[in-house]
Amino acid sequence: MSIVSYAPDDLTVTVTADTTLAALQQHLSPRNQWLPVDPPNPARLTIGEIVNCDVSGPRRYGYGTVREHVLSLRAELADGRMIKSGASVVKNAAGYDLCRLFTGARGELATVREVCFKVQPRPEAEQFGKAEFPTVEAACGFVEKLDTSELTPTVLDLHNAGGAGPWTVVVGFAGTREEVDWQRKQTGSLAAVADANLDHDEQFWSATAARPVRKLSVLPSKLAATIAAMRGVTSLVARAGNGIIYYRGEDQGTAIVPSTKLMQRLKHEFDPAKKLQARHA
Amino acid sequence: MAAIAPSFFSELRAICGDDGVITQSERLMVYECDAYTMEKHLPDAVALPRTTEEVVRAVKLCAQHHLPIIPRGTGTSLSGAVLAVDGGIIIGTTRLNRILNVDYRNRRALVEAGVPNLWITNAVKERGLMFAPDPSSQPSSTIAGNIAFNAGGPHTLKHGATTNHVLGFDLVLPDGEVVWLGSTPEGGDDVEGYDLRGAVIGSEGMFGVITRVVVRLMKTPRAFRTMLAVFNSADDASHTVSDIIAAGIIPVAMELMDQPITRAIEEAYHFGLPMDAGAVLIIELEGHEAGLDRQLERVIELCRKNRSRDLKPARTPEERAALWKCRKSAFGAIGRISPNFVTQDGVVPRTKLPEIMQFIYDAAKKLGLGVANVAHAGDGNIHPIIFYDERIEGDVEKAYACSTAIVRRCIELGGTATGEHGIGVEKVELMSLQYSADDLEAMQRLRRAFDPEGRCNPHKMFPGGKRCLNFNPQRQVAI
Repeated sequence: MSIVSYAPDDLTVTVTADTTLAALQQHLSPRNQWLPVDPPNPARLTIGEIVNCDVSGPRRYGYGTVREHVLSLRAELADGRMIKSGASVVKNAAGYDLCRLFTGARGELATVREVCFKVQPRPEAEQFGKAEFPTVEAACGFVEKLDTSELTPTVLDLHNAGGAGPWTVVVGFAGTREEVDWQRKQTGSLAAVADANLDHDEQFWSATAARPVRKLSVLPSKLAATIAAMRGVTSLVARAGNGIIYYRGEDQGTAIVPSTKLMQRLKHEFDPAKKLQARHA
Repeated sequence: MAAIAPSFFSELRAICGDDGVITQSERLMVYECDAYTMEKHLPDAVALPRTTEEVVRAVKLCAQHHLPIIPRGTGTSLSGAVLAVDGGIIIGTTRLNRILNVDYRNRRALVEAGVPNLWITNAVKERGLMFAPDPSSQPSSTIAGNIAFNAGGPHTLKHGATTNHVLGFDLVLPDGEVVWLGSTPEGGDDVEGYDLRGAVIGSEGMFGVITRVVVRLMKTPRAFRTMLAVFNSADDASHTVSDIIAAGIIPVAMELMDQPITRAIEEAYHFGLPMDAGAVLIIELEGHEAGLDRQLERVIELCRKNRSRDLKPARTPEERAALWKCRKSAFGAIGRISPNFVTQDGVVPRTKLPEIMQFIYDAAKKLGLGVANVAHAGDGNIHPIIFYDERIEGDVEKAYACSTAIVRRCIELGGTATGEHGIGVEKVELMSLQYSADDLEAMQRLRRAFDPEGRCNPHKMFPGGKRCLNFNPQRQVAI
């Protein structure tokens, strides 16, 4: 578990796959930088798991998933050879982008050993607000207003307080103090917004529910109708701005797996003996 | 290559129409190279299909005849990536040029592969949206071409490159099968399985022919602060770039232009650029009005610390547009000072920018060649423009040597051979400097999954190919 190299003035850091996200963030913190990816359990999640599953958290709306931040990586192929893809610079068009291919491939094509990330200066200010609504339609109406306004939130979440509470939209802003204050104020003119934080996400993921978390991905415009049509779902958190719904309860089963033949051919090229099994975070 | 059966051409005409197939050698010359003019090859024919179905049928026909296919947009690429090295059929996407649908609520557009980059922004800007990647070629380079090279542009520094803004597309595989990769027009952002979309972006057209693309649209920032900072030396300008980033400020763009290019632009277009400056930086901040001025003050402070002798803010949208026009006219201005040029596209960690700039000047001087520099300095992405005259014996070789030396140095400094122009035929030999044999073999595995026969855009990217054995420009541009 180690930081291989850190070049704060180049905004790049290279770490081994067994480093936890929390350890990485701690290393970046004295220079006031971070990897703007915020999945649950950063103290337990390793960089390898994060890259294998292309994880993200509430700030996905502003910063994307971890895929957007990987510059290069070292990976062990199924036959034991170590390869490198990408370079430790912010732009690279030399060769195919195996970084993208391996990120999110659940370790089925190669085992990621070391990753170089593009990091960012921590925003000077960050604020969160929440607004509660009686129906999912009303909540999604507020989401749409924000999503199509001139505002640029970094968080736009929707949750139902573990299935018990009202429909709640959580909105976050980051940047200079002035722009964050201004955006927060503008949001207040669209709905009654109270101060908030991102605890809703932690509570959702740490709930000791027997059922696993499942995911749906829809167009943001279809969020309200999709949620309204869900049956047997207890709790949910949606990255409302991205149309991603995480839920516990009955499988709503609509995951589409496209280009299956092509994926099988890829798997065969990289791991003909099927040594590498899917890993989950 | 064996002669092509005459029936092939009549079948191709039956698919694409008489006006959609080019076989006459004088018309094929348009397709003999891209914007990298040091090497040229004539294709056997060019097919210009109008629909996805025509693409599929043309690709299947080529497969039956075992002919190489070379997908091509408008040929603005800069690395020879669309050369028909061993002949073959160019599948041009220029007639696939419709914007099919704009979904304002979800900020997406479905466009055909041959739509030029700038058309997308032009179609949506009135609604406050834009397609973020902005290569200088954007009035003409196509969206599928941007995908092939993961095109960036000055604003990549903050907004990312094509891969960050293209959600999905179809791909006609070299055997004619059509697959949809990434997000579908009606589907959500996340797709199960491997990121094949991401694997195709930047693959230089070697995996198949794209016909339709779903792009992400961004909200156009409401406020800008754009400034021209004038320096006595390229070194001072380069240090300013590093200092701004180190201060935690990420401008949306930081473009460096050195004295030769500034002069060439000024002489050609009369924008009012200083003729005697060592280098200028175009720095742009964007976002919400609130807080921008304070950031600008900090940037000005850092420019002054690095001895900037003059700071000219753009006071109106027209002045801002003029500044960007300066930058994007750079390549067009070269014609005034050199009959031929070759440009490079290496990237270094941005703190190494002063070092690579010095190296460029020294390398050109040693070979007696002229050089001018534009750079996406915030990204550490250099574009040295090396002047040569193909009429002078040995000049082509010298230009090639100079440009290669620069890229080698970029790789030694921990960077890459290309930030956005691609490997093409131009930089194949440099791939083994940057990647090990195992790294390259892993890339070949990816290629085999898409194109087991290696028939799609062959002789590109990988060293040891046919082309490398006989590098010898067949014919140079008309004088």
